[in-house]
Amino acid sequence: MNTNRSVLLEGVVVEEHLHLSVTEICQACSITHTHIEEWVAEGVLQPEGSNQSDWRFTGHSLRRAKIASRLVRDLEVNTPGVALALDLLEEIETLRKQLNQP
Amino acid sequence: MEYQDYYKILGLERDATPDQIKQAYRKLARKYHPDVSKETDAEKRFKEIGEAYAVLKDPEKKSAYDQMGNNWSGGQGFNPPPNWDSGYEFRGNGWGDHANPDHSEFFESIFGRRAQQANQQSAQLNIPGEDHHAKIEIDLVDSYLGAQRSIGLKMPTLDDQGHLRMQERTLEVKIPKGIRSGQHLRLAGQGSPGFGNGKAGDLYLEIVIKPNPYFKVDGKDVTVELNLAPWEAALGATVDLPIPTGKVELNIPANTMAGKKLRLKGKGIPSQEPGDLYATIRLVTPPVTTDADKESYQAMAKSFAAFNPRANV
Repeated sequence: MNTNRSVLLEGVVVEEHLHLSVTEICQACSITHTHIEEWVAEGVLQPEGSNQSDWRFTGHSLRRAKIASRLVRDLEVNTPGVALALDLLEEIETLRKQLNQP
Repeated sequence: MEYQDYYKILGLERDATPDQIKQAYRKLARKYHPDVSKETDAEKRFKEIGEAYAVLKDPEKKSAYDQMGNNWSGGQGFNPPPNWDSGYEFRGNGWGDHANPDHSEFFESIFGRRAQQANQQSAQLNIPGEDHHAKIEIDLVDSYLGAQRSIGLKMPTLDDQGHLRMQERTLEVKIPKGIRSGQHLRLAGQGSPGFGNGKAGDLYLEIVIKPNPYFKVDGKDVTVELNLAPWEAALGATVDLPIPTGKVELNIPANTMAGKKLRLKGKGIPSQEPGDLYATIRLVTPPVTTDADKESYQAMAKSFAAFNPRANV
Protein backbone atom coordinates (compact mmCIF):
# COMPACT_ATOMS: atom_id res chain seq x y z
CA MET A 1 0.00 0.00 0.00
CA ASN A 2 1.16 3.47 -0.79
CA THR A 3 0.59 6.44 1.41
CA ASN A 4 0.22 9.92 0.07
CA ARG A 5 -0.03 13.07 2.08
CA SER A 6 -1.66 16.01 0.44
CA VAL A 7 -2.32 19.68 0.99
CA LEU A 8 -5.26 21.18 2.85
CA LEU A 9 -8.40 20.63 0.82
CA GLU A 10 -11.37 22.94 0.89
CA GLY A 11 -14.69 21.41 -0.02
CA VAL A 12 -18.00 22.95 -0.95
CA VAL A 13 -20.97 22.49 1.38
CA VAL A 14 -23.54 20.85 -0.89
CA GLU A 15 -26.53 22.02 1.16
CA GLU A 16 -25.45 25.67 1.17
CA HIS A 17 -23.85 26.25 -2.20
CA LEU A 18 -24.81 23.54 -4.65
CA HIS A 19 -27.78 22.16 -6.47
CA LEU A 20 -27.05 18.86 -8.16
CA SER A 21 -28.19 17.98 -11.68
CA VAL A 22 -29.65 14.56 -12.55
CA THR A 23 -26.29 13.50 -13.95
CA GLU A 24 -24.42 14.60 -10.83
CA ILE A 25 -26.76 12.80 -8.46
CA CYS A 26 -26.61 9.62 -10.60
CA GLN A 27 -22.82 9.77 -10.57
CA ALA A 28 -22.73 10.43 -6.81
CA CYS A 29 -24.93 7.43 -6.01
CA SER A 30 -23.78 5.11 -8.85
CA ILE A 31 -27.33 4.72 -10.16
CA THR A 32 -29.15 5.21 -13.45
CA HIS A 33 -31.39 8.03 -14.66
CA THR A 34 -34.27 5.54 -14.63
CA HIS A 35 -33.95 5.14 -10.86
CA ILE A 36 -34.06 8.90 -10.35
CA GLU A 37 -37.13 9.21 -12.61
CA GLU A 38 -38.92 6.51 -10.64
CA TRP A 39 -38.03 8.05 -7.31
CA VAL A 40 -39.17 11.50 -8.39
CA ALA A 41 -42.44 10.04 -9.69
CA GLU A 42 -42.95 8.27 -6.33
CA GLY A 43 -42.13 11.44 -4.38
CA VAL A 44 -38.96 9.97 -2.83
CA LEU A 45 -37.03 12.92 -4.23
CA GLN A 46 -38.44 16.37 -4.84
CA PRO A 47 -36.22 18.35 -7.19
CA GLU A 48 -36.70 21.97 -8.14
CA GLY A 49 -37.42 22.60 -11.82
CA SER A 50 -40.29 21.46 -13.99
CA ASN A 51 -38.70 19.08 -16.46
CA GLN A 52 -35.91 16.58 -16.18
CA SER A 53 -33.28 18.65 -17.94
CA ASP A 54 -33.50 21.40 -15.35
CA TRP A 55 -34.14 19.30 -12.25
CA ARG A 56 -31.99 20.47 -9.37
CA PHE A 57 -31.48 18.38 -6.24
CA THR A 58 -30.56 19.57 -2.74
CA GLY A 59 -28.16 17.93 -0.28
CA HIS A 60 -31.17 16.45 1.49
CA SER A 61 -32.10 14.69 -1.76
CA LEU A 62 -28.51 13.47 -2.08
CA ARG A 63 -28.76 11.86 1.35
CA ARG A 64 -32.10 10.23 0.52
CA ALA A 65 -30.87 9.05 -2.89
CA LYS A 66 -27.77 7.50 -1.30
CA ILE A 67 -29.82 5.51 1.20
CA ALA A 68 -32.35 4.59 -1.51
CA SER A 69 -29.60 3.29 -3.80
CA ARG A 70 -28.18 1.13 -0.99
CA LEU A 71 -31.61 -0.28 -0.11
CA VAL A 72 -32.19 -1.17 -3.75
CA ARG A 73 -28.73 -2.69 -4.20
CA ASP A 74 -28.46 -4.59 -0.92
CA LEU A 75 -32.05 -5.55 -0.15
CA GLU A 76 -33.72 -5.26 -3.58
CA VAL A 77 -36.43 -3.05 -2.10
CA ASN A 78 -38.86 -1.77 -4.75
CA THR A 79 -39.72 1.91 -5.25
CA PRO A 80 -42.81 2.15 -2.98
CA GLY A 81 -40.80 0.21 -0.35
CA VAL A 82 -37.93 2.68 -0.66
CA ALA A 83 -40.35 5.58 -0.20
CA LEU A 84 -41.86 4.00 2.90
CA ALA A 85 -38.47 3.05 4.40
CA LEU A 86 -37.04 6.55 3.90
CA ASP A 87 -40.04 8.25 5.53
CA LEU A 88 -39.89 5.87 8.50
CA LEU A 89 -36.10 6.29 8.82
CA GLU A 90 -36.49 10.08 8.93
CA GLU A 91 -39.20 9.78 11.56
CA ILE A 92 -36.99 7.52 13.68
CA GLU A 93 -34.13 10.01 13.32
CA THR A 94 -36.35 12.87 14.50
CA LEU A 95 -37.57 10.86 17.49
CA ARG A 96 -34.02 9.80 18.41
CA LYS A 97 -32.92 13.42 18.23
CA GLN A 98 -35.64 14.33 20.71
CA LEU A 99 -34.30 11.64 23.03
CA ASN A 100 -30.77 12.92 22.34
CA GLN A 101 -29.64 9.47 21.33
CA PRO A 102 -27.34 9.03 18.40
CA MET B 1 -4.77 -14.61 5.56
CA GLU B 2 -7.77 -16.16 7.27
CA TYR B 3 -10.22 -18.62 5.74
CA GLN B 4 -13.78 -17.24 5.56
CA ASP B 5 -16.55 -19.74 6.23
CA TYR B 6 -19.26 -18.22 4.05
CA TYR B 7 -21.85 -20.88 4.98
CA LYS B 8 -21.35 -20.29 8.69
CA ILE B 9 -21.55 -16.51 8.23
CA LEU B 10 -25.01 -16.94 6.70
CA GLY B 11 -25.95 -19.59 9.29
CA LEU B 12 -26.29 -22.32 6.64
CA GLU B 13 -25.33 -25.95 6.15
CA ARG B 14 -23.03 -26.67 3.22
CA ASP B 15 -25.85 -28.34 1.26
CA ALA B 16 -28.07 -25.23 1.35
CA THR B 17 -30.20 -24.64 -1.75
CA PRO B 18 -30.06 -21.35 -3.73
CA ASP B 19 -33.42 -20.39 -2.19
CA GLN B 20 -32.16 -21.02 1.32
CA ILE B 21 -29.03 -18.98 0.59
CA LYS B 22 -31.09 -16.06 -0.68
CA GLN B 23 -33.49 -16.24 2.24
CA ALA B 24 -30.70 -16.35 4.82
CA TYR B 25 -28.95 -13.41 3.17
CA ARG B 26 -32.11 -11.28 3.00
CA LYS B 27 -32.96 -11.92 6.63
CA LEU B 28 -29.47 -11.04 7.89
CA ALA B 29 -29.12 -8.12 5.47
CA ARG B 30 -32.27 -6.52 6.84
CA LYS B 31 -31.04 -7.05 10.39
CA TYR B 32 -27.56 -5.64 9.83
CA HIS B 33 -28.02 -3.11 7.01
CA PRO B 34 -26.13 -0.02 8.25
CA ASP B 35 -28.92 2.32 7.12
CA VAL B 36 -31.56 0.60 9.22
CA SER B 37 -29.71 -1.32 11.95
CA LYS B 38 -28.85 -0.18 15.44
CA GLU B 39 -26.64 -3.21 16.16
CA THR B 40 -23.24 -1.94 17.25
CA ASP B 41 -21.22 -4.04 14.81
CA ALA B 42 -23.77 -3.69 11.99
CA GLU B 43 -21.37 -2.38 9.38
CA LYS B 44 -18.75 -5.08 9.90
CA ARG B 45 -21.35 -7.86 9.97
CA PHE B 46 -23.08 -6.48 6.90
CA LYS B 47 -19.83 -6.55 4.92
CA GLU B 48 -19.21 -10.18 5.90
CA ILE B 49 -22.77 -11.13 4.95
CA GLY B 50 -22.50 -9.28 1.62
CA GLU B 51 -19.21 -10.96 0.77
CA ALA B 52 -20.58 -14.41 1.68
CA TYR B 53 -23.63 -13.83 -0.50
CA ALA B 54 -21.57 -12.49 -3.42
CA VAL B 55 -19.80 -15.86 -3.51
CA LEU B 56 -22.63 -18.26 -2.68
CA LYS B 57 -25.23 -16.73 -5.02
CA ASP B 58 -22.90 -17.03 -8.02
CA PRO B 59 -22.77 -20.66 -9.29
CA GLU B 60 -19.21 -20.27 -10.64
CA LYS B 61 -17.80 -18.68 -7.51
CA LYS B 62 -19.75 -21.06 -5.28
CA SER B 63 -18.41 -24.20 -6.97
CA ALA B 64 -14.87 -22.82 -6.91
CA TYR B 65 -15.28 -22.07 -3.21
CA ASP B 66 -16.84 -25.47 -2.49
CA GLN B 67 -14.00 -27.17 -4.33
CA MET B 68 -11.58 -25.99 -1.65
CA GLY B 69 -13.26 -28.47 0.64
CA ASN B 70 -14.96 -28.63 3.98
CA ASN B 71 -11.90 -29.06 6.12
CA TRP B 72 -11.33 -25.40 6.78
CA SER B 73 -12.89 -23.47 9.59
CA GLY B 74 -13.50 -19.72 9.81
CA GLY B 75 -10.51 -17.69 10.98
CA GLN B 76 -8.03 -20.49 10.22
CA GLY B 77 -4.80 -19.51 8.45
CA PHE B 78 -5.29 -20.04 4.73
CA ASN B 79 -3.25 -20.29 1.54
CA PRO B 80 -4.98 -21.29 -1.68
CA PRO B 81 -3.71 -24.64 -2.95
CA PRO B 82 -1.65 -24.31 -6.17
CA ASN B 83 -3.77 -24.24 -9.35
CA TRP B 84 -6.89 -24.67 -7.27
CA ASP B 85 -8.84 -22.48 -9.66
CA SER B 86 -7.76 -24.01 -12.95
CA GLY B 87 -10.72 -24.58 -15.17
CA TYR B 88 -12.73 -21.73 -13.68
CA GLU B 89 -13.25 -18.67 -15.77
CA PHE B 90 -14.72 -15.90 -13.66
CA ARG B 91 -16.77 -13.56 -15.74
CA GLY B 92 -16.68 -10.89 -13.12
CA ASN B 93 -18.82 -7.85 -13.62
CA GLY B 94 -15.74 -5.71 -13.48
CA TRP B 95 -14.73 -2.80 -11.38
CA GLY B 96 -17.80 -2.47 -9.17
CA ASP B 97 -17.83 -6.01 -7.91
CA HIS B 98 -14.16 -6.73 -7.55
CA ALA B 99 -12.58 -3.47 -6.54
CA ASN B 100 -14.60 -3.40 -3.37
CA PRO B 101 -12.43 -2.15 -0.51
CA ASP B 102 -14.80 -3.90 1.89
CA HIS B 103 -13.91 -7.39 0.71
CA SER B 104 -11.60 -9.53 2.80
CA GLU B 105 -8.09 -10.45 1.77
CA PHE B 106 -9.39 -14.00 1.42
CA PHE B 107 -11.98 -12.91 -1.16
CA GLU B 108 -9.47 -10.83 -3.12
CA SER B 109 -6.96 -13.68 -3.23
CA ILE B 110 -9.50 -16.05 -4.73
CA PHE B 111 -11.76 -13.92 -6.88
CA GLY B 112 -9.73 -10.77 -7.40
CA ARG B 113 -7.07 -11.84 -9.86
CA ARG B 114 -9.09 -12.49 -12.97
CA ALA B 115 -10.93 -9.24 -12.55
CA GLN B 116 -7.67 -7.34 -12.63
CA GLN B 117 -6.88 -8.76 -16.03
CA ALA B 118 -10.31 -7.83 -17.30
CA ASN B 119 -9.83 -4.28 -16.12
CA GLN B 120 -6.66 -3.72 -18.11
CA GLN B 121 -8.68 -3.41 -21.29
CA SER B 122 -10.95 -0.72 -19.98
CA ALA B 123 -7.92 1.52 -19.41
CA GLN B 124 -8.11 2.31 -23.13
CA LEU B 125 -11.52 3.93 -22.79
CA ASN B 126 -12.30 7.37 -21.48
CA ILE B 127 -14.58 6.84 -18.51
CA PRO B 128 -15.05 9.27 -15.64
CA GLY B 129 -13.98 7.97 -12.23
CA GLU B 130 -16.48 6.98 -9.58
CA ASP B 131 -17.59 9.34 -6.85
CA HIS B 132 -16.71 8.21 -3.35
CA HIS B 133 -18.43 8.69 -0.04
CA ALA B 134 -17.20 8.80 3.53
CA LYS B 135 -18.56 9.92 6.86
CA ILE B 136 -16.62 12.23 9.09
CA GLU B 137 -17.32 12.85 12.77
CA ILE B 138 -16.70 16.28 14.20
CA ASP B 139 -17.26 17.89 17.58
CA LEU B 140 -19.90 20.54 18.06
CA VAL B 141 -17.17 23.09 18.74
CA ASP B 142 -15.72 22.39 15.25
CA SER B 143 -19.03 23.47 13.80
CA TYR B 144 -18.83 26.72 15.81
CA LEU B 145 -15.23 27.58 14.97
CA GLY B 146 -14.32 25.58 11.87
CA ALA B 147 -11.53 23.00 12.00
CA GLN B 148 -9.05 20.91 10.10
CA ARG B 149 -9.26 17.11 10.00
CA SER B 150 -7.06 14.34 8.68
CA ILE B 151 -9.02 11.53 7.15
CA GLY B 152 -7.64 8.18 6.03
CA LEU B 153 -9.28 6.62 2.97
CA LYS B 154 -8.66 3.37 1.20
CA MET B 155 -9.49 3.23 -2.43
CA PRO B 156 -8.79 0.92 -5.34
CA THR B 157 -6.54 2.41 -8.02
CA LEU B 158 -4.85 1.04 -11.13
CA ASP B 159 -1.07 1.29 -11.24
CA ASP B 160 1.02 1.86 -14.40
CA GLN B 161 0.85 -1.82 -15.31
CA GLY B 162 -2.93 -1.80 -15.00
CA HIS B 163 -2.89 -3.79 -11.75
CA LEU B 164 -5.45 -3.13 -9.11
CA ARG B 165 -4.05 -1.89 -5.82
CA MET B 166 -5.56 -0.64 -2.63
CA GLN B 167 -4.14 2.75 -2.00
CA GLU B 168 -4.32 4.43 1.35
CA ARG B 169 -4.56 8.18 1.24
CA THR B 170 -4.58 10.75 3.97
CA LEU B 171 -6.45 13.93 3.16
CA GLU B 172 -6.25 17.14 5.14
CA VAL B 173 -9.70 18.64 4.97
CA LYS B 174 -10.92 22.02 6.07
CA ILE B 175 -14.15 21.79 8.04
CA PRO B 176 -15.96 25.06 7.35
CA LYS B 177 -17.43 26.99 10.24
CA GLY B 178 -21.20 26.57 10.47
CA ILE B 179 -21.42 23.10 8.95
CA ARG B 180 -24.20 20.98 10.43
CA SER B 181 -24.91 17.32 11.01
CA GLY B 182 -26.15 15.58 7.87
CA GLN B 183 -24.62 18.10 5.49
CA HIS B 184 -22.17 17.06 2.79
CA LEU B 185 -18.82 18.47 1.77
CA ARG B 186 -17.94 17.86 -1.87
CA LEU B 187 -14.24 17.66 -2.69
CA ALA B 188 -13.92 17.96 -6.44
CA GLY B 189 -11.66 15.42 -8.14
CA GLN B 190 -10.88 13.43 -4.95
CA GLY B 191 -12.87 10.31 -5.94
CA SER B 192 -11.58 7.54 -8.18
CA PRO B 193 -9.29 8.58 -11.01
CA GLY B 194 -10.91 8.40 -14.45
CA PHE B 195 -9.91 5.90 -17.12
CA GLY B 196 -8.11 7.28 -20.15
CA ASN B 197 -9.03 10.94 -20.41
CA GLY B 198 -12.05 10.56 -18.14
CA LYS B 199 -12.43 13.09 -15.36
CA ALA B 200 -11.72 11.99 -11.78
CA GLY B 201 -14.75 11.44 -9.55
CA ASP B 202 -15.60 13.58 -6.53
CA LEU B 203 -15.44 12.73 -2.85
CA TYR B 204 -18.51 13.42 -0.73
CA LEU B 205 -18.00 13.68 3.02
CA GLU B 206 -21.10 13.41 5.17
CA ILE B 207 -20.76 15.37 8.38
CA VAL B 208 -21.84 13.84 11.67
CA ILE B 209 -21.68 15.91 14.85
CA LYS B 210 -20.70 13.62 17.71
CA PRO B 211 -23.35 13.34 20.41
CA ASN B 212 -22.51 15.52 23.36
CA PRO B 213 -23.67 14.87 26.94
CA TYR B 214 -24.48 18.55 27.55
CA PHE B 215 -25.67 20.00 24.27
CA LYS B 216 -28.56 18.85 22.12
CA VAL B 217 -28.37 19.96 18.51
CA ASP B 218 -31.36 20.40 16.24
CA GLY B 219 -30.40 21.90 12.89
CA LYS B 220 -28.79 25.24 13.72
CA ASP B 221 -30.27 25.45 17.23
CA VAL B 222 -28.52 24.17 20.32
CA THR B 223 -30.08 23.44 23.71
CA VAL B 224 -28.30 23.13 27.06
CA GLU B 225 -29.71 22.42 30.50
CA LEU B 226 -29.00 25.02 33.15
CA ASN B 227 -29.21 24.02 36.82
CA LEU B 228 -30.31 26.70 39.27
CA ALA B 229 -30.79 26.78 43.03
CA PRO B 230 -34.38 27.68 44.00
CA TRP B 231 -33.34 31.10 45.32
CA GLU B 232 -31.43 31.92 42.09
CA ALA B 233 -34.54 31.15 40.09
CA ALA B 234 -36.86 32.98 42.48
CA LEU B 235 -34.81 36.09 43.14
CA GLY B 236 -32.93 36.41 39.89
CA ALA B 237 -29.16 35.97 39.48
CA THR B 238 -26.23 36.21 37.11
CA VAL B 239 -24.73 32.76 36.41
CA ASP B 240 -22.17 31.18 34.11
CA LEU B 241 -23.79 29.31 31.23
CA PRO B 242 -21.65 26.70 29.44
CA ILE B 243 -21.71 27.12 25.64
CA PRO B 244 -19.84 24.94 23.11
CA THR B 245 -16.99 27.45 22.85
CA GLY B 246 -16.63 28.18 26.58
CA LYS B 247 -19.06 30.05 28.77
CA VAL B 248 -21.08 33.25 28.90
CA GLU B 249 -22.68 35.21 31.73
CA LEU B 250 -26.43 34.92 31.76
CA ASN B 251 -28.90 37.08 33.65
CA ILE B 252 -31.69 35.04 35.20
CA PRO B 253 -34.78 37.19 35.72
CA ALA B 254 -36.64 36.90 39.04
CA ASN B 255 -39.41 34.28 39.15
CA THR B 256 -37.89 32.03 36.48
CA MET B 257 -39.75 28.71 36.60
CA ALA B 258 -38.32 25.22 36.13
CA GLY B 259 -38.67 24.02 32.52
CA LYS B 260 -38.59 27.55 31.12
CA LYS B 261 -36.38 28.03 28.06
CA LEU B 262 -34.23 31.15 27.89
CA ARG B 263 -33.20 32.02 24.33
CA LEU B 264 -29.79 33.44 23.48
CA LYS B 265 -30.40 34.76 20.00
CA GLY B 266 -27.70 34.00 17.46
CA LYS B 267 -25.60 31.87 19.85
CA GLY B 268 -26.44 28.63 18.04
CA ILE B 269 -24.44 27.26 15.12
CA PRO B 270 -22.97 30.16 13.09
CA SER B 271 -24.39 30.92 9.67
CA GLN B 272 -25.60 33.95 7.70
CA GLU B 273 -28.65 33.59 9.88
CA PRO B 274 -27.12 31.89 12.91
CA GLY B 275 -29.08 29.47 15.08
CA ASP B 276 -30.14 30.18 18.65
CA LEU B 277 -28.94 28.72 21.91
CA TYR B 278 -31.60 27.69 24.41
CA ALA B 279 -30.99 27.23 28.13
CA THR B 280 -33.60 24.96 29.70
CA ILE B 281 -33.97 25.72 33.40
CA ARG B 282 -33.78 22.90 35.94
CA LEU B 283 -34.11 23.48 39.64
CA VAL B 284 -31.78 21.64 41.97
CA THR B 285 -32.74 21.61 45.64
CA PRO B 286 -30.09 21.25 48.34
CA PRO B 287 -30.44 18.29 50.73
CA VAL B 288 -31.00 18.94 54.42
CA THR B 289 -27.93 18.03 56.46
CA THR B 290 -28.00 20.33 59.50
CA ASP B 291 -30.61 21.75 61.89
CA ALA B 292 -30.14 25.16 60.26
CA ASP B 293 -31.00 23.64 56.85
CA LYS B 294 -34.11 22.12 58.37
CA GLU B 295 -35.17 25.46 59.84
CA SER B 296 -34.75 27.16 56.46
CA TYR B 297 -37.10 24.70 54.78
CA GLN B 298 -39.55 24.95 57.70
CA ALA B 299 -39.53 28.74 57.39
CA MET B 300 -40.25 28.38 53.66
CA ALA B 301 -43.07 25.97 54.29
CA LYS B 302 -44.65 28.41 56.74
CA SER B 303 -44.23 31.35 54.41
CA PHE B 304 -45.68 29.45 51.40
CA ALA B 305 -48.46 27.70 53.35
CA ALA B 306 -50.99 28.47 50.57
CA PHE B 307 -48.76 27.05 47.79
CA ASN B 308 -49.92 23.71 46.39
CA PRO B 309 -47.42 22.19 43.92
CA ARG B 310 -50.11 19.67 42.86
CA ALA B 311 -52.87 22.20 42.26
CA ASN B 312 -53.28 21.05 38.66
CA VAL B 313 -53.59 17.34 39.41
